[in-house]
Amino acid sequence: MSTASFELDVPSAYDDHQSASREAQRKADRWMLPGAILMTTAVLGPIGFPLFLKGMAEQRKALLQGLAVRPMICTLLGYLVIMDSGLNSIGWSLDLIAHHSLISRTLVTAWGNMFDSGYFWHYNELWIGGATAPGEKGWEIALVPTVFCMRLAAAIGFLQMKRWGHQWLIVTCWFGVIYWVGYVANMTVFADLRYAHVVFPVWGWWLYDIFYITPFLAIPYLHTVNREIFSD
Amino acid sequence: MSSSEKRLPPGTTESNARLHKWLQRGLFVCLTALALEGTFTFPGLMVWYGFPDLSLVEMCSELSKVRYSDDSRECIFPHPLFAPSEAAGQKTSQDKWGVQPKPQYKRIGFRELVKIRDERLARQAAAKQAQASERR
Repeated sequence: MSTASFELDVPSAYDDHQSASREAQRKADRWMLPGAILMTTAVLGPIGFPLFLKGMAEQRKALLQGLAVRPMICTLLGYLVIMDSGLNSIGWSLDLIAHHSLISRTLVTAWGNMFDSGYFWHYNELWIGGATAPGEKGWEIALVPTVFCMRLAAAIGFLQMKRWGHQWLIVTCWFGVIYWVGYVANMTVFADLRYAHVVFPVWGWWLYDIFYITPFLAIPYLHTVNREIFSD
Repeated sequence: MSSSEKRLPPGTTESNARLHKWLQRGLFVCLTALALEGTFTFPGLMVWYGFPDLSLVEMCSELSKVRYSDDSRECIFPHPLFAPSEAAGQKTSQDKWGVQPKPQYKRIGFRELVKIRDERLARQAAAKQAQASERR
């Protein structure tokens, strides 16, 4: 191989690899993104989950082929944050804005009766409507328009392997620690009300909600990952 | 660079490889669990609280009868857009008030709303019959 051809071929091979990697990542995301969005609606989860798994299989295939795609842990983390924020937002938005819809009056209160009486006791009696548990409305107003919106944006930036996405995911995951501690403390203080005569009391709530511990899994990764993999 | 380091995903150093492996497993478990919870929560609740024997509106009415200890409560659907909250000013709910309120309604078991409704309807029918026979 002559020097001239070496100079011409290497950039071309590099560019080909880059464009194949970009295409493979795009292909995987084309499955995973709609899957994750459908899963955040809760009821459409059965449609979203297989789409998401198909995207993950595409991503794994690209990784095995040696293409420069996003690491699997970043993919799982980014999409889990999207789901965590989406599911929390939809539930709390229903209670905050759509508390007199049939789905809220029936299924949100049924959920409350099963796991957390804060969503059953005196429901739709406050002027603002919805849950009446002490402190609950404050959490909804504070978290949906601020923390969960920011977490969604941060997760999108993180999935694009942007530096700001990584940084904002750190910020919003620490917000997550604060709201977990604050929320659990609030529930514990008002436990007489919140767990009275529910179908599955304290252990049921924990079993249902423990899978929202995303911030506690994300923070150790975000602080130990080599930040050079994220770009401006 | 050792051969094991070469196999690590980008961003993961050898000293953090084990931590990242377990975090990845945890993330996958959480994601799967949230997907399953999202999928089955509402259908599961509907079955527990009486569907298909009760329609959603009937379920809504039965839940509010329990919540406010008032058999006359009915869910009006659709709720008028600018009307006050449906339960504003209600006086029937049973609570033990103290530094913390304690609700006095009972736990609702599997499909118990159907039983509660059937028993109430039977009671009301019997009362109506007794009234009618008294008049005769």
